[in-house]
Amino acid sequence: MKIKHVVPGLVLAAALAGPAFADKLDDIISSGTLRCAVVLDFPPMGSRDESNNPVGFDVDYCNDLAAALGVEAEIVETTFPERIPALMSGRVDVAVASTSDTLERAKTVGFSIPYYAFENAVVANEGVEMTDWEGMRGKTVGATAGTYEAIWLEEKVTEWGEGEFRPYQNQADVFLALSQGQLDATVSTVEVAQANVASGNFPGIKIVDKAPMVPDYVALITLREEYGLINYMNLFINQQVRTGRYAELYAKWVGEGEPADLTVQGVYR
Amino acid sequence: MFNYNFRWAQAMASLPRMLEGALVTLEVALLSMVIGISIAIVLTLFRLSGSRILSAVAATWVEIARNTPALFQIYMVHFGLGGFGIHLSPYLSLLIGIAFNNAGYLSENFRGALKGIPETQTRSARSLGMTPIAAFRYVVMPQMLRISFLPMTNQMVWAILMTSLGTVVAMNTDLYGVTSDLNARTFRTFELFAIAAMIFYLITKTVTLSARLLAARLFRY
Repeated sequence: MKIKHVVPGLVLAAALAGPAFADKLDDIISSGTLRCAVVLDFPPMGSRDESNNPVGFDVDYCNDLAAALGVEAEIVETTFPERIPALMSGRVDVAVASTSDTLERAKTVGFSIPYYAFENAVVANEGVEMTDWEGMRGKTVGATAGTYEAIWLEEKVTEWGEGEFRPYQNQADVFLALSQGQLDATVSTVEVAQANVASGNFPGIKIVDKAPMVPDYVALITLREEYGLINYMNLFINQQVRTGRYAELYAKWVGEGEPADLTVQGVYR
Repeated sequence: MFNYNFRWAQAMASLPRMLEGALVTLEVALLSMVIGISIAIVLTLFRLSGSRILSAVAATWVEIARNTPALFQIYMVHFGLGGFGIHLSPYLSLLIGIAFNNAGYLSENFRGALKGIPETQTRSARSLGMTPIAAFRYVVMPQMLRISFLPMTNQMVWAILMTSLGTVVAMNTDLYGVTSDLNARTFRTFELFAIAAMIFYLITKTVTLSARLLAARLFRY
């Protein structure tokens, strides 16, 4: 084959091959839509308002990310266990869903740097004698299946060797069971605990103590190999804090006080 | 497949826990069938009794069991009764929910089976001096159970599959509960649920095949 035939061929091949290297970040920008998995029964991070529109910290966070990318945000409701299938099957691009960044999970999905950190509280039924978190020993306790606090609590119950652990499918069922007295106590994020006690939807519950665990750092997730997007999300989270938007969203959805520190002293990311 | 690398070795390490879960699933399904069949026979008798009240009780049970989702029935056993201060463990809630559903469907199966048994049999039995109950117990019921044996195995399969609804009442020791717990920890969704589906398939297949063999032995004419 003569060289003059090869050159145009190579040019053509390069032009055609170009789009094949497009990564998720390119796909999102060219499609004009960012699809976020958000858990909507997890106030104040995600819930629905009176007219059934998704609202909350995570919803706003997704909207901000979409605005930064210059695309439209599309909120896709998922439960906690459904986040990963939604991501893997390409139903969503990222999950802005308060996902705890455990090492076990990082073997499967790609985590950004933390964008929020929860502290957890022990909430008990008023009929139960309990003064601190260790009062949960030997009791029937439960939490939302698949969450950081559920994994922690189940391990505690196993360690204690007494009592019973029940993982309910969503936050509302946990608090319903707690309010009915089917559960003696639960562990949930301080934000959720306060919102549920204040709402009056679940009478007969009280916050007892803070749960003694490492702050639950949560991160944005996408596919593990999408470095371009992960890199973008990291910078985005940094900018949210830098510009004061993080504090603004905290004040809007969580309330008074300082938003959680997202850095860890004495170590690089 | 879609950006996912299968890591079977990691998921297979969970197989022993899942098999333990499968045993619990089988146990719940079997118990729910025993309870369901017993109640279904009683409901069938209620319908035959001629009493309006008893027939109404049976009819209501069957209507609710057959025309509402099993998910709803199990949820109501746990949270509905919970609202009245009756607190049942996840295991009992699931068992009672499935048994309730089984009883409704099986009672309809029995009613269908009864239609296939000529009325003359009862009359002949009565003319031999049997009481109505004895006539039912020794003449009609054995035939009824025989005719509805295969539908019963269907219900058993259905009961096994229904155990997966236990997660709504925080059941975490059955096959599906164990699998979703493992999934929350590791995010190996596709391997874990593929293994769970395979175990479900093997259990139900074993049940249907052994039922068929059993039927061939039991019901030889």
